[in-house]
Amino acid sequence: MEIQTALDALGGWLVQTDIGLGLLLLVGLSMSLSHVFTLLANRLNRRQIIVHLILDGLMLSVAFLLSSTIDMVLLATSASVTIHPSDFINGVAVCLLPAVFYLLVAAPYVGETIGLGIWVLMHLNVITLLHARFALPYGEALLLATPGYVVAVLLVWLLFRQGWQAGYSTLASQLSDAHGS
Amino acid sequence: MQKRSQASYAAIQAQQHGLRSRLGFVVLVLAVGLGVSWFGVGHVLLALRSIFDWTDINLLLRWSGLLLLVLIPTAGIYSLVTQFAFWEGWLDGLPDPTALFPDSPPVSEHRCFVVYLDGIHQLERDHPPRVSAFLGLLDQQLNPATRLVKGLEAYTVLPVALAQDIGSAWFWRRLFALQEDHPNGWIQLIAAVLVQANNVIKVGISSDHRYGPIMNYELSLKIALRLGEVGFRPDQGQRVVLVGYSGGAEMAMGVADYLRRICRAPVSIVSFCGVFSGNQLLNQLSKITMIIGSRDPVAAFGRIAYPGRSPLLPLSNWNRALKHSCIERREIKGMNHNGLQGPFAELHRQAVVDQIVQAIESEDAGALG
Repeated sequence: MEIQTALDALGGWLVQTDIGLGLLLLVGLSMSLSHVFTLLANRLNRRQIIVHLILDGLMLSVAFLLSSTIDMVLLATSASVTIHPSDFINGVAVCLLPAVFYLLVAAPYVGETIGLGIWVLMHLNVITLLHARFALPYGEALLLATPGYVVAVLLVWLLFRQGWQAGYSTLASQLSDAHGS
Repeated sequence: MQKRSQASYAAIQAQQHGLRSRLGFVVLVLAVGLGVSWFGVGHVLLALRSIFDWTDINLLLRWSGLLLLVLIPTAGIYSLVTQFAFWEGWLDGLPDPTALFPDSPPVSEHRCFVVYLDGIHQLERDHPPRVSAFLGLLDQQLNPATRLVKGLEAYTVLPVALAQDIGSAWFWRRLFALQEDHPNGWIQLIAAVLVQANNVIKVGISSDHRYGPIMNYELSLKIALRLGEVGFRPDQGQRVVLVGYSGGAEMAMGVADYLRRICRAPVSIVSFCGVFSGNQLLNQLSKITMIIGSRDPVAAFGRIAYPGRSPLLPLSNWNRALKHSCIERREIKGMNHNGLQGPFAELHRQAVVDQIVQAIESEDAGALG
């Protein structure tokens, strides 16, 4: 009976958070697509690439969900603000909208600047959300939003760094196999 | 003695007068140009206002900006596709890295191979006439033990020209046709800019630390194949010099370390009017010689566009190579990036060729010494 109640609550929560979760998924997929060339650098075949893209997209969505959860916990503990998780995630997901265009980070040379711009925009959006919705001063909003943001940046960086390192290893092994250096 | 000083004073006076009148002329032309431009802009704005109101113009400008913001990265991403499809083996033609050089002994007596990598104006294997004349002069002045390798397409990794590129051949052929045959000069200009934009993107890919390694490796395989055809063999005491003009300097920096390992030979770089990132591994190269023009704004822009060359980042590959003092800088007074004051113009052609030959031979002398 308890399990059924919990499942009902989870179902209700998921329905209420549909916009937020959908947006997070979209952001995750866009980020995953921006690094599709990592997968090509690793010489994966088409099916492996598709599977990796979906898995990476899901992992990145979870990373942002985790980041939002940290914000929510900090908000509840430090600022004594209580908020329904679905409302908060719906709000945060809208702040992450610029990342829907993260796909453009794949562009050579200008990509990293676009990425930097998107990350800064996302952080500013979340700070503004905390300021506007919970009437927190900007300084406090910045302090509360930063830990979750740092976790998200670290997770995304780790995921992509690992992919590129593996790609360079593939290149290095081909070079050493063929040319003995 | 007094007569001579009077004569030189008069000459200085005449030169100053000439400079002043030239400056006056430039100011006059600028003033007239600005006036005409403002008049023109005003009329265009009035015409636009008669059709649209300010809200429409504002919207149009925003959408155009957004379109550019999306189009530029999209073109870059499309350009990457070929490199990675080639790397994946989805396109035929990736050379077998174990069979780049024939097993036969070297067919030529050359000790040094100078590979020329052209700037972003390169469209096909044949160089433009002014570049061909420059290379002819360079070839004459190199010593007989040195072989000049030209006609390499530095901006395609495929063994085919851009006009035969799978997927985009139709586009390039049409663009080349527009550039050469269209009666309207503006259309010709836009087509030329688009072709060059493709090469600029390749320079961007080469300098990008994510994509650069794979593209540079593919290009170095292509260069190694060509070197094998002209008689180069690894471990035979031969050496390779990459001579790069403008964006060709970036491609040279990109391929140099790979080529050193593939060819198992010393590799050095001579760049002139080079626009490059210096992001690549450069420590193991024999030498890098930069020939720059004192009036070259494009090469100067390269130093701003690529933060890795800024002294603010002492751990960048470029600054590390600078510390190893394997970089030499030579300046040619009054030389610009292109045009009548450029390196291929008659005015500076000989000076640039002399500097390149000196750079190559000084290394020979160093090795012998």
